[in-house]
Amino acid sequence: MVVGELAHERDLIIIGGGPGGYHAAIRSAQLGQSVTLIERERLGGVCLNKGCIPSKVFTMGATRLASHRKADQYGIESESIQFNLNKLQAHKEKTIHQLREGIASLCKANKVELISGAAFFLSEDRIGVATDDHYEVYRFKHAIIATGSSPTVPAGVEIDHKRILNIWSITTIETIPEELVIYGSDYIALEMAMAFKIFGSRVTLIIEKNDFSFDYAINRELKRVFKKNGIKIIKNAVISAVFADENSVTINLEKEELTCSHLFVSSGQKPNTENLGINRIGIQMTDSGFIEINKQCQTSISTIFAIGDVTEGPVLAAKAIRQGKAAAEAIAGISSEVDFSFLPTVAHTLPPIGSVGLTEQEACEQGYQISVGQFPLSSSGFAALTGERDGFIKVITDKESQLFLGMHMMGYGAVELITSGVFSLEVAAREEDWLFPAYPHPSINEGMLEAVEAIKKQAIHFPPVKDGKR
Amino acid sequence: MEVKLHDIGEGMTEAEINCFLVKPGDIVQADDPLLEVQTDKMTAEIPSPRAGIIREFKVEPGQTVPIGTTLLLLNEMDEEMNRNNQKQTSHSTKGERDPFAFAEKKSSSKRVLASPFTRKIARENGINIEKVVGSGPSGRITDEDIYQLISALQETAVAPTINSTVAPTNTSKNETIPFRGRRKQIAKKMVNSVYTIPHCTHFEEVDVTSLLQFCSELKKRNQNISITAFFIKALSICLKEYPIFNAILEEENEVIRVLHEHHIGIAIDAEDGLMVPVIQNVEKKSIQSIHAEVKQLTEKALENKLAIKDISGGTFTISNVGPLGGSFGATPIIQHPEVALVSFHKTKKMPVVTEDDQIVIRSIMNLSMSFDHRVADGATAVRFTNRFAALIQEPKMLLLEMI
Repeated sequence: MVVGELAHERDLIIIGGGPGGYHAAIRSAQLGQSVTLIERERLGGVCLNKGCIPSKVFTMGATRLASHRKADQYGIESESIQFNLNKLQAHKEKTIHQLREGIASLCKANKVELISGAAFFLSEDRIGVATDDHYEVYRFKHAIIATGSSPTVPAGVEIDHKRILNIWSITTIETIPEELVIYGSDYIALEMAMAFKIFGSRVTLIIEKNDFSFDYAINRELKRVFKKNGIKIIKNAVISAVFADENSVTINLEKEELTCSHLFVSSGQKPNTENLGINRIGIQMTDSGFIEINKQCQTSISTIFAIGDVTEGPVLAAKAIRQGKAAAEAIAGISSEVDFSFLPTVAHTLPPIGSVGLTEQEACEQGYQISVGQFPLSSSGFAALTGERDGFIKVITDKESQLFLGMHMMGYGAVELITSGVFSLEVAAREEDWLFPAYPHPSINEGMLEAVEAIKKQAIHFPPVKDGKR
Repeated sequence: MEVKLHDIGEGMTEAEINCFLVKPGDIVQADDPLLEVQTDKMTAEIPSPRAGIIREFKVEPGQTVPIGTTLLLLNEMDEEMNRNNQKQTSHSTKGERDPFAFAEKKSSSKRVLASPFTRKIARENGINIEKVVGSGPSGRITDEDIYQLISALQETAVAPTINSTVAPTNTSKNETIPFRGRRKQIAKKMVNSVYTIPHCTHFEEVDVTSLLQFCSELKKRNQNISITAFFIKALSICLKEYPIFNAILEEENEVIRVLHEHHIGIAIDAEDGLMVPVIQNVEKKSIQSIHAEVKQLTEKALENKLAIKDISGGTFTISNVGPLGGSFGATPIIQHPEVALVSFHKTKKMPVVTEDDQIVIRSIMNLSMSFDHRVADGATAVRFTNRFAALIQEPKMLLLEMI
């Protein structure tokens, strides 16, 4: 391919500047490596530019809008509240730009070399990088593949990014859809359903399964909240065909036909492992098409690591970030590893959801004899004063050992509070570890305590329940 | 049900837990081996009394427990049927899961009941924490559990019950000798050592005339010190100068760990096979106390009363086959992971030509030194034995090394 090429020598080459890649780059630099980060598009990856951050600007917009509509009870009077999507889009662009600049300057401060281009493995220790009009070869001691994933499209659907949108284009929309149909049950689907409902769309959610995949208590509360907000849910439905014209989208399900103004499809991602040359150099893949790695994120070629969405597991930046650090540390000779048994999952719905550990269904399936404590936020004094009384906090413990198995919450502050559950699981906390401390008052934190107290029927703000009903 | 330690051999009163062969959650059939115990006489596997699921261990590796102690809890199959069925259903549903689905992230591997800090200690010491049985409340793994395991592993790495010279076994025609317990243990360690270490052995003659004279002078003063005690002390002095022979090669870590404490094992020809009790910290002990310890450990070995601590932690081994007569050399097998071993052979009176061309009668002893040729080279080994020979030939030289 290239004759007499001259290779630049680097300690570590990272392919992909998403959250996994840039965390790995900075940690590696902190550990004394000379690091080169190659990004094909924009620094920050899908997370910053098309995924987590833009969608969170939208959910935050919805949250603010909803709370403004309820502000009157706090004495905040306003004639009428208008929502201007253009301003939200501008805020999104500004936020993304600022955060991207932030990453770039952090990389610079850590002497991480940034190269814009597409990378391709030439051999086990060489990589070719094609930029606009030239081509360079780098020889590396170690490499990290952090190329992420791309949304998949169900058969019969063609994304036009105008009326039929995917997770990358839903937040680029310029008008509020009149009638939005959402196909999917992952967190983005749920978040967008709630956000657009608040922005004024009529929203229908189509899910392929019988239910959501959270703990069933959350599934139930989520359905209740959706119903309360007027979001329609169609279960056990698969799209067979979609037709779009100038004004509308027609969706064929097996049993019915829907017409709407916009369709948003969020039906999973596939790893970006094509055009990287990894097949050629013989990196082992899993049966489902991900790069196979060990607990240190090392691939079958010991000097090449892989992190984030190209590896098996949930498609979450939280996973990629943790893996990026572990890989960087392993490359620097530090014994490091990842374990995602207690990876938290959150959804910035309204109210938000936070979940970690085993669900009640999973705990039973795994043969645990469990205790369950649940505290509704309608019984929380602080929730009452915030006016955010939807939701609950649920804890699951092992009956015999009293060890924490899982924590699931939906309600005000859940995204922040769930870290308490993560900690409890990581340090193998038991019920008493929760009952002993004092908690900030008044706060939603007290709800977590009361959920643990509820296991022994000792929650203070929860009236005794009759036998046979929890 | 509780699985207890039963008398598995004559006169056994207690046993040391060597290792677990199963882990909690494992399904076992009747007679499946559950754990390995070691008595002062043998190593034995404790079989499962019936089919069931391992619930919990009540003992820890390295612990010595009397007969009747509950070793572990076993849930019989019937009790477990229900749970087990549920488990299978859970596996089948797991298989169908969408790998992309949000909130479906649970790994099926066993939960580790340890804080991230404790996990790090384990990781840094190459211990698979998933295999550790926690001693803390609810089976929680503590820092202490990991530290104990680290030292237990170090001890077992220095094999307690082997030696270079295998005692003649009393075989008559058509007799079978049980190949288990200590014999099997010896065999296992020998094979491991020979397959791992490229052995190199050289021989040396040592003039022990003066040392024998010195010993008999001491005897006249009612100080009965064995010649072996002098050998051990002299070896320790040589090890100080050539510490490479008091080392452990850690291939996987790519290091040779040089040890500055001299724990010298002595081969004792006991009835059921050789035992190698260890004299700890020879570098800090006087010849007199070395002598007393050799004597005491030999007695213990012959009475089969050696405790695990008496045979653990050796860093160098000697085998004194001289008193048995006969041999003038051997190619002894090193106790893996030690680096070297010295055998002392029979002492004979020999005509020796002195520097001024006189022929004199001297007492000459042969020694054989095997060493790990990965770690040290022949020249160093020869220098080592030369130094040893010099110290023994002129025992007054030992005075110079007194601390």
